[in-house]
Amino acid sequence: MDRYAASVHGMLEGMGASPDDAEDALQECFVAAWRRAEAFDGGPSARAWLFTIARNALRRQHRRRVGEPASFESLESLGAAAGWGAASDFSHRLDVHDELSWALDHLPDDERQAVVLRDLEGLSGAEAAQVLSISLPAVKSRLHRGRLRLMAVVRGGEG
Amino acid sequence: MIDIDREVGGIRCFEVLDLLPDFVDDALDSTRLEQVRLHLEGCDTCEKFGGEYGALVRVLRAHVAARSDSGVRARLGRTLASVQDEEVREP
Repeated sequence: MDRYAASVHGMLEGMGASPDDAEDALQECFVAAWRRAEAFDGGPSARAWLFTIARNALRRQHRRRVGEPASFESLESLGAAAGWGAASDFSHRLDVHDELSWALDHLPDDERQAVVLRDLEGLSGAEAAQVLSISLPAVKSRLHRGRLRLMAVVRGGEG
Repeated sequence: MIDIDREVGGIRCFEVLDLLPDFVDDALDSTRLEQVRLHLEGCDTCEKFGGEYGALVRVLRAHVAARSDSGVRARLGRTLASVQDEEVREP
C-alpha cells in the first residue's frame, strides 16, 4: 500500500480532485483493489491498474461531468495562444512551481489527465491509454493540446 | 491565425507543430526526424517555439507531484484494516 498510495493520491489531485475527493477516491481504490487482487493478471503494471481503479472511483464522484464535450480549438489556434510565432520568451516562468500548478488547474479535465499521467506520473502512452480507456492516438492528442494550453496559460494568454 | 506556415527542409511549420510531441520523445522515424531537424535549423520561429515546448516537457517531468501526507496513508491503512476485519468475520 505504502508503495503506491502516494502516487495514486498525487495522480488524483493532479487530475483536479479536491483533497477530500482525492482521499475518498484513494480509499475506494485500495478497498476495491484489495477485494479484486486476484483479478490482477500482472498486466502492464500494478500502478497502471491502480490508477485505472482510482480514476474510475473519481469519475463516479463526478458523474455530472461525464460526457462534457472536449474543447475543439484547432491545433494552430492553440499553438498561437501558446506563443508559436511570438517574439517573447516564457521559459523563465516555468521555474515557478506554483505558477505551473496553477496553470495545470486551468486545463480541461481530459487534457489535464493526459498531462498528469504522461508527464507528471511518467506512465507510458499505452499505460495512459489503458487508464483513460481511450486510444493511444487520443492520448497523444490530448497530451499535445494540454501542453500547448499550459504554455498559453503560463504565458498569460487564453487558457 | 498566424502566418508562419513556411516550408523549410521539406516540411511546413504546421507539420512541425504537429510532430513536436514525437520529436521531444525521440519517437520519429529517421526520415521525419531529419526533416524536422532541417526545418528547425532553418526556421527561427519553430526553433524557438520547439525549444520552449521541450523546456515545458522537461520541467513537467522533473516536477515532483504533490504526494499524500502520512495522515492520508494512516487513514487509508485503518480503512483497509477495517475492511479486512469485516470480511474475515463474514461466514
